[in-house]
Amino acid sequence: MKGNIRIRSYGLTMLILLILLILMIGITSTIGSANIGPMDVYRVVASKIPGMGGFVDSSSITASQHSIIWSVRLPRVLLGVIVGAGLSISGASFQGLLKNPMADPYILGISSGAALGAAIAIILKLETALMGFSGISVMAFVGALIAVTLVYNIGRIRSQVPVTTLLLAGVAVGQFLTAITSLLMVIYNRDMTKIIYWTLGSLSGKGWNPITTISIPIIAAMVILLFFSRDINIMLTGEESAKSLGVNVERIKVYVLLLGTFITSMAVSISGIIGFVGLIIPHIVRLIVGPDHRILLPASAIVGSIFMVFTDTIARTVISPMEIPVGIITAIFGGPFFIYLLRSKKKTL
Amino acid sequence: MMSISVKNIVFGYTATPVIRDVSFQVDKGEFISILGPNGSGKSTLLKTINGLYVPLSGRVELMGENIERYKRREIAKRVSLVPQDTSLQFEFTVEEVVTMGRHPFKGRFEREDERDRKLIYEAMEMTNTFDIRDRLITEISGGERQRVFIAKAIAQNTGIILLDEPTSHLDINHQIDILNLLRKMNQEKGITIILVIHDINLATRYSDRILLLKKGSIIGQGTPEDVITTENILNAYGMRVAVERNKYTGHISVIPLEVSKRIRSELNIRVHVISGGGSGQDLINVLYHRGYQLSLGVLNAGDTDWQYAKSLKIPVSEEKPFSGISDRSARKNREMLGDADLVVMTNVPIGSGNLRNLKMACESLENGKRVIYLKDRKYEEFDYTGGEATALLERMIGKGLSVVDSMDQLLREIS
Repeated sequence: MKGNIRIRSYGLTMLILLILLILMIGITSTIGSANIGPMDVYRVVASKIPGMGGFVDSSSITASQHSIIWSVRLPRVLLGVIVGAGLSISGASFQGLLKNPMADPYILGISSGAALGAAIAIILKLETALMGFSGISVMAFVGALIAVTLVYNIGRIRSQVPVTTLLLAGVAVGQFLTAITSLLMVIYNRDMTKIIYWTLGSLSGKGWNPITTISIPIIAAMVILLFFSRDINIMLTGEESAKSLGVNVERIKVYVLLLGTFITSMAVSISGIIGFVGLIIPHIVRLIVGPDHRILLPASAIVGSIFMVFTDTIARTVISPMEIPVGIITAIFGGPFFIYLLRSKKKTL
Repeated sequence: MMSISVKNIVFGYTATPVIRDVSFQVDKGEFISILGPNGSGKSTLLKTINGLYVPLSGRVELMGENIERYKRREIAKRVSLVPQDTSLQFEFTVEEVVTMGRHPFKGRFEREDERDRKLIYEAMEMTNTFDIRDRLITEISGGERQRVFIAKAIAQNTGIILLDEPTSHLDINHQIDILNLLRKMNQEKGITIILVIHDINLATRYSDRILLLKKGSIIGQGTPEDVITTENILNAYGMRVAVERNKYTGHISVIPLEVSKRIRSELNIRVHVISGGGSGQDLINVLYHRGYQLSLGVLNAGDTDWQYAKSLKIPVSEEKPFSGISDRSARKNREMLGDADLVVMTNVPIGSGNLRNLKMACESLENGKRVIYLKDRKYEEFDYTGGEATALLERMIGKGLSVVDSMDQLLREIS
């Protein structure tokens, strides 16, 4: 039974997923108040590629359609692609590294650190932008990094970082920082709504600027993360077993934690804390492609993108013109779907 | 050729050392077992040998070179480890797990080539895991999983394989299965095997040499015969055992008797036992542990009952092996009989060699001693003396010999 559930061919799996992602980008970009067809989206994109402009017939697209696609829809969809990919690949690598199915990108205190940073920025009204980032983004990023540094140093025992102490340190620091954020919200209750909205996560109204800035570092970090996929595989058999197979366990742990933290902090600082994606997508993908991180990591990234773009479209359209924070949608759709997968998988065992 | 040389290593997780000044050498192609009670540092020693732990002092040499000079990957090309814990929650297939054994030889994005495939398939064939190669590691039995991890170590294609209690959670058939596999690799491929194991009898049966650890120090190393002695086991485990050659496998084996710390309550009743050929073992065991003061005889040196009595330090009037009872040993036996409050004889077959035992029992009976005949064993033939023994026994019954059919009945009689 299990043999046919698992897709073995690496190339084919990735190809199918990529096609799905491109289709998803095209379709979701058309959904909205303005009337735009999927092909228009691809035409606009193609016309923007240097050297391609002459070959694409974009005469049927009006200037306003062009502007909506290029300035409003596409940046938002692509931000979803980046954030979804980043959260999912971090979640997948953390779950493997920590050998813990409950692990998600936020488990080491990133979310609570970022939330506290963002809350402080909101309360202090830090509107000044730094390198094109809003004050909230910068503070969230700094908060996330401080939290993880704290967790890592508490969890560390001499030169080693035992998984259990790391996880417990993450929980403890997370709870502590969340409590401070809550306290701030109680004291400055004027800003409470804004803080809560931020923590629920959103991809709306960011424009091109943050994407161009975060996508390169995030993609670079994701690619480097792939370098360690076989090491993570072997570390699943136990740390000592992995060492005896020549894996430099402690070093790999630090690298993967650093990369995952970096990706997640970047994503969170722009989009707020979008929950569930980084926890559930790796599980769903693992059910389909198996636990080999060489395929699990890239496949999680793409499936995460697809899921993120899909849920964000729902978030911005379902009660249009109002927006629902996308974090709510990810949980509402992801939860039942995952439970369904879990149940149907159980039956085959 | 020297594979591994351990020189005066001391290691501890904290300030208290777990390994204290341990030195030994392993030659290429040896099969070595590390034995010792729980907490004696067996697993720690094994991991130190593999360079997983860095000793506080002393050093481990791999092929003549300090292991700390090697990179992890270089050690992994020479030594493989089968860990104690082979649980794996992630749903890899058996083949994927075995393939991990090739990791030290592969670059970051390098795929397994023909040679790797061949080694992986060979390893699976050897361990009988080829047929389950597509099954998930999470869905196979403990014995199968153990074999898969051994296959992974074989696929690593190293000259040395270390195993940390590979048989501890397995049924006896799987235990023998695994050890036969290790012996096969040892003998056919010349792979050096170093094994941490709990079962002393399995260790003696398969190993060339044994290291016996107690509280982090080696208290015996050498052939199974040299190391597995009553004294060493008592010293290491605080356990009284009988050591004998197993009559089926021919290997040294131990029979646990009594934890030495447990003080048995001594009774002031002397019992002389007449037995032989193992017929007295249960009897001796039961009486000994109930605290009776025992003596035995006459027994030929080397007899099963003799060995057993010796291991319990019970006085025996003994005769040279395969000899009839001489006057000298008979005299000693009569002294023992004289001191005894009670004589118990088993229904050991009587021939010309031990007829004298029966006669002496008869004398005691005539002298007014209480003699009990324990007839709990089934022998095809009792009398190898042409009727003499049977006649004597009948005469003894006439004079008040009590005959009992079971140990329980005997215990009721004497208590």
